[in-house]
This record gives sequence, C-alpha cells and structure tokens, in this order.
Amino acid sequence: MTDSATLQDDGLLAQRIRSGDRAALGEVYDRHASAAMAVALRIVADREGAEDLVHDTFVAIWQKIDRFDPARGSLRSWIVTIVRNRAIDRLRGTRPSIEIGEADERSLLRSGPNPTWESAMARLGGIQLRAALDELPAEQRQAVELAYFGGRTYREIATITGVPLGTANGRLRLALARLRERLSQTEAAPIGAGDER
Amino acid sequence: MSEMTHSQVEELAGAFALGALDPDEEAAVRAHLAECGEAHPEMEAALGAGIVMAESLDPVDPSAAVRDRLMATIEGTPQAHRQAVAQPVRQSRRGWLDWLSPRVARPLAIAAMAAVIAVGAWSLGLQSQLNQRDAALRAVASAISGGQAAFRVEGNAGRGYVVDTPGRGAALVVTDLAELPPHRIYELWLLNPAGSPVAVGTLTSTDDAIAVVQLERDLSGFSIFAVTVEAERVAAPSSDPVILGVLGSS
Repeated sequence: MTDSATLQDDGLLAQRIRSGDRAALGEVYDRHASAAMAVALRIVADREGAEDLVHDTFVAIWQKIDRFDPARGSLRSWIVTIVRNRAIDRLRGTRPSIEIGEADERSLLRSGPNPTWESAMARLGGIQLRAALDELPAEQRQAVELAYFGGRTYREIATITGVPLGTANGRLRLALARLRERLSQTEAAPIGAGDER
Repeated sequence: MSEMTHSQVEELAGAFALGALDPDEEAAVRAHLAECGEAHPEMEAALGAGIVMAESLDPVDPSAAVRDRLMATIEGTPQAHRQAVAQPVRQSRRGWLDWLSPRVARPLAIAAMAAVIAVGAWSLGLQSQLNQRDAALRAVASAISGGQAAFRVEGNAGRGYVVDTPGRGAALVVTDLAELPPHRIYELWLLNPAGSPVAVGTLTSTDDAIAVVQLERDLSGFSIFAVTVEAERVAAPSSDPVILGVLGSS
C-alpha cells in the first residue's frame, strides 16, 4: 500500500534524484525495490535474473529520471511498469522494446490519468487487490495473468486457451472493466483492514 | 500494420493497457493516440491497470548485495539530463521561436509582438505603463531582432534564455518551469569567471507557460547564469543548479 504521504515524499525524492542526489535513489530503492522484485520474479521465475532486472531498472531510473512525469502517475507505478516491461523483454528474449520515456502509456493521453488504479494502490493492500482479482471469472483472470505476467499477446492467449481472437480480447476488456468497478466499490466501502506491506 | 480506426483502438484498450498487443499493433495504437484529437474513454479507463496486478503480489526483498551494487553503479553513471550542459547560442529570431515548443512559441510570439507594437505606437512616457513581463518580453524581442545574443539556459527545472539589453538590464525568460516543493523558491545567480555567485532575483512556481524575471544586475562581468532551489533567499547557493547557462561566449 502506498499512502498519500508516501506519494508526496516520492515526488520530493524524484526531484532530489533529478538534482543528482544518489542517497535519494537509495531511499526510492528502499521503498519500492520489493514491489519491483516481486513483479520481476513472478515473470522470469529466476531470483538472480530478477535481481539483475531490479538493479538495471533502478540504474535506468537514475539515468532517465527526467522522463518521470508525476502528473501521469506515481513513481511506484512508473518503476513497476519499467521493470515489468524489461522482464517481459527478457522472457521473450528480445531487446528492450519500449523506451523508458514511453513506459507510462498514460503519457499518450490528452486527458489526465484515470484515478481508479492509482487510488486503489494507495488505499488498498495486496490482500484486497488479490481479492478483487479472485472475484473475476476464471477465464478473465487467466487472460489478464497471461497478459501481464506471462507477456502473452491476446492473439497468443486465444491460441493457448482455444478461443477466437475476439473472445480473448474481450476477456481482457471485461476483466479490466469488472476490476475497475470492483475497486471503485471497494474505495466506497473498504474490504476489511489494509494489510501491512 | 495499417492505420487503426478510433473504434479499433478503443476495442484494444484492455490488451494495450496490459501490454498484450503485437509490436505492430502496439505501434499503430500509439500512433493513433498521438494524432487523434477525440476522447478515448475506454483507453483512459484501462491505462494504468498494471499497477493493480503488480500490487496484488506479495513483496519480495532483493538480496542486500543488489542495493550495494546499484549504489556502486550509479557512482559512475551520469544522468542523461545533466549531460546536456547548457550551451550559449546566438539565436536569430527564427531560431529562438523554433527552439520553443509550439505551445509556448505561439503565446510568446504574440506577447512579444504585441509589446513591440505597443512600444512603436506609444510615446516614451507611456512605456512605463508596460508591466514588467511585457517589458522583459520586449527586451527579448528587441535583443533578438537587433542581432544581440540570447544565451540559452536549461536544466531539469526548465529552459529558456537570458537576454542582456544595454541600459535596460537583463531578463530571464523560462518555459516549462518545474513545480517547486512546498516552501521552496527558485533563486537566480550570476557567477563571475572566478566562480563567485551574486544573487540576482527569485522566482516561485507559476501556472504560466512562460515565466519572465527581470534580473537585478546586468550581465557585465559575469560568465555563468544559474538557478538553484532554496528555502529562502540566501547569499550563496546551497544546492546544485537546476538551470544553468554559459554567458558571453557566443
């Protein structure tokens, strides 16, 4: 869970990193490396490889901190997106396919970011988020996990699960719509207490 | 892949948000979003969902050696934005406007033109009615059109020009100024060739696309312009520059 104070502090830390403050990068690492490591390890299933990805991600953050736009999302979200993309590239055996400046696709939008996802991250812990994912129909959950953690395209998901392309794509759309609706409700009536992260 | 229609892009919102498109499809979606002026409600709703997937995992601590290795690596790793040290440039009027983004160039051009027209039409007595911003913009326009040097300054907090107009002092015109942390100000400095700083003004965050500040000194005898972030106006900078430029060598 990342509360509003943490988000605010992250903004200050990002600014310190911009000014060349190495200690600030260390603080950012201490805050977010475990989340980045969880994503990397889930994707590459190799601890040493995951640690290399985390290391390389934070080096990239140091080098390209000027590409971080707090108006488009949190520092944690940016870090996780970068490590996820790098892990998928490693899984696929491809060269980095996305420039770090493009890591947050929300920069493509003319409007501001949709607050649902960041708000859920800020308000809820892993248990609540897992509960929301668990409530998805099994085929939708399988589709989003194959996509996000497996690096599978919807075309590949269609082949793996033996459904038409439109069905595979539709499952991803429906899954996100259901998840967003569930998380919005959860913000109004939180599920239990937040877990410690 | 050929261009995508608006509805095709919207239909692929979930797959795009989860990184589940083929490279050519992803490129086509990016190209559409970059060009399309219409709203994309489904895309807006879907983007950013990945963080929920990530946060649903139990955190895993990397070994302590990773942090040590990271800190050792960055010791010798330059930051991209700090490698691009500000260079003084002698700009023609066209070059000055070309350098700015269209979003900024248009209002600057309009403001500068309006100020120049005003100066031409009004008497000297009425010039005093121009506010400081218009006067500084007029100085910039006048200096550039008169062939004077405008010194480019830039850094992670913004970018712009410092212009020195004999008899009228110097002005900083800066665009895309980064928002300050709470209770902080930008302090402006001129440094002589020996590196001694002289405070020449302050600046706070602004919602304007362009910030204009009249410097308290002209540029004579100084070789560096810098901006630092301070808690209050101080006699000597306490942090690294966030905007920097070399003066007088163009």
